[in-house]
Amino acid sequence: MAIVTGVTVRNLEVERGGFRLGPIDLAIEGGTAAILLGPSGAGKTTLLRAIAGFLGLREGSVEVDGVPVDREPPERRGFGFVPPSLGLFPHRRVARNVSYPLEIAGASDASAQARRWMERFDLVPLAHRYPHELSSGQQQRVAMARALAAHPRFLLWDEPLSALDVESRDVLLRLVRELIEREGLPLLLVTHDPTTALSLGSRLVVLDEGRVRFQGRPEELARGPLNRFTARFLGYENLYAPHELAAVSDLPLGAALARAAGPGGLVVPTEALRWSVERWVGDTSARVRSVRWSSAAWSIDLELGSLRLHVLGAHDAPSVRPGAVVGVGIDLGKVKPLEGSSGPAG
Amino acid sequence: MVAPSARGSVGSFVGAVLSASLILLFVLPLVVLFLYVGWSGFVQEATNDGFLTSIRFTLLASGIAVGLGLLTGVPLGYVLARYRFRGRSFVESAVLLPVVIPHLVVGIALLLLFAPDGPVGRFMAGLGLPVFDAIWGVVLVMLYVGASYVVLASQLAFRAVDPEVVDTARSLGASPGEAFATVTLPQSARGIATGALLMWARGVSEIGGFLILAYAIEPSPPWFGPPTAPASVYIYDLYQSSGGLEAAAAASCVLVLVALAIFLAVRLVDRAGLYTPRGGWLS
Repeated sequence: MAIVTGVTVRNLEVERGGFRLGPIDLAIEGGTAAILLGPSGAGKTTLLRAIAGFLGLREGSVEVDGVPVDREPPERRGFGFVPPSLGLFPHRRVARNVSYPLEIAGASDASAQARRWMERFDLVPLAHRYPHELSSGQQQRVAMARALAAHPRFLLWDEPLSALDVESRDVLLRLVRELIEREGLPLLLVTHDPTTALSLGSRLVVLDEGRVRFQGRPEELARGPLNRFTARFLGYENLYAPHELAAVSDLPLGAALARAAGPGGLVVPTEALRWSVERWVGDTSARVRSVRWSSAAWSIDLELGSLRLHVLGAHDAPSVRPGAVVGVGIDLGKVKPLEGSSGPAG
Repeated sequence: MVAPSARGSVGSFVGAVLSASLILLFVLPLVVLFLYVGWSGFVQEATNDGFLTSIRFTLLASGIAVGLGLLTGVPLGYVLARYRFRGRSFVESAVLLPVVIPHLVVGIALLLLFAPDGPVGRFMAGLGLPVFDAIWGVVLVMLYVGASYVVLASQLAFRAVDPEVVDTARSLGASPGEAFATVTLPQSARGIATGALLMWARGVSEIGGFLILAYAIEPSPPWFGPPTAPASVYIYDLYQSSGGLEAAAAASCVLVLVALAIFLAVRLVDRAGLYTPRGGWLS
């Protein structure tokens, strides 16, 4: 696999059926992964397809080690593209899916090379199966082995692991992380899954309405201004739109929250919430709606007027039951106002 | 009141009876045909030189017609499946035209276009491809009445191939032609073969167009045999001759068996997985 120092996207613009993407500037170094995030319709897949060469550019360039490749057809770019459907060939067995790029390149040892890739991805026992006879995780491994067997200079991976169980996802993530680091391969990955993003990507790129809204490290995303999409991505649960806050503005706490909100509403991180069965701890009373065990901790949903507050973190069974009234307080210094735009991630 | 389950079973029974009636309508006339002819009548016609010549001629003409149908219909099916363009609905209507036009009209229209003393007819004859009462007339009629099936079946087959799979092949190094040959075509082959089979069956069963354009076939390349007629015309002539029902029925049995043999051969190739995900050289 050729060592690539970096892929650069400069001022890229695509126009397609009334949707305009760009201008986009991106730089992905060899051996690192950039994670492309954004709500549905943000232009993530359009960007990937444009970089891969399936869509013409209106403006801008795609460069590998400083050499423009945007006039090359997809087959000459050397970009491994794995679409959401994986693009496995249904009429070819696993072995011949993996050997496909080698056969096309005219490699005399296509079968032997394909076997080495199958060994890496633990696919040898499945070599004679057809794609429809495989589980989602196995299909993912075939797609990845095949993409890498083509010796790509750059890997573009669209929504890769959405259909996988946690164990299969972790195995594949570990394999891919090792490979991109060892081979010095740049990777651009579209995902909605924070676990995937944070375990692979040192760099996040948030796309919204065809434009890059944020580029940087995950902790920088958390520190910067949030919108509904980035807040959800970072795992915040207590997100409130302005109209939801307006509905509780007759409560003292509700009015304070409405004042603290931004154009897109407000996030109340769990660390900003205090609650106690002793009502004096809070400024306002809330009713316990549900108490359940999730994510290795007890979680409690409280009702503050029409607002639902989600509280996590009690490792011991809490002493309250649904219907109980508790005191609740919110540290307004820790709430985060939300910027406008960005609907929920789809 | 009738319980829902009882209503359901009555509905199933009625559906089964109606379906069985249709199947009977398909099969029963052929059973009667074979019973009417009997073994000796069948053997007599199956060894008749004149009829065997007609069968050989029909197989040659239909083979050429299906080849031309594939050559022209598959690319058209691909374009209709993959591209949007001005005039697309006109092209789609034109493809369906031969299915709705009475085939005697097809014969008359083709005769007017390819008349031996007309400019097109003279041009074709000049190329060594005479149309009137020649094999190319039969091929033309078969192409006209049958190629639509190849176009429609190819269009459906190509449309069923996921464009993302083809794009992935491109990203793996395949040129557009290689991606078509190694990814699109193998996945569409079964549909295309079905279209070819339908075209062949439609061409062999044609008679109206032949009666006008190519009734009595004179030898001309690539038919080097004696003067003959397409099998359907041959059987019609037998029927028209006095007391010819027995001979026509016997010849019909031979033609039905030839058609069944070709149908079975295609099915066997399909089962062997030549172009399907069940094995064979493409997998």
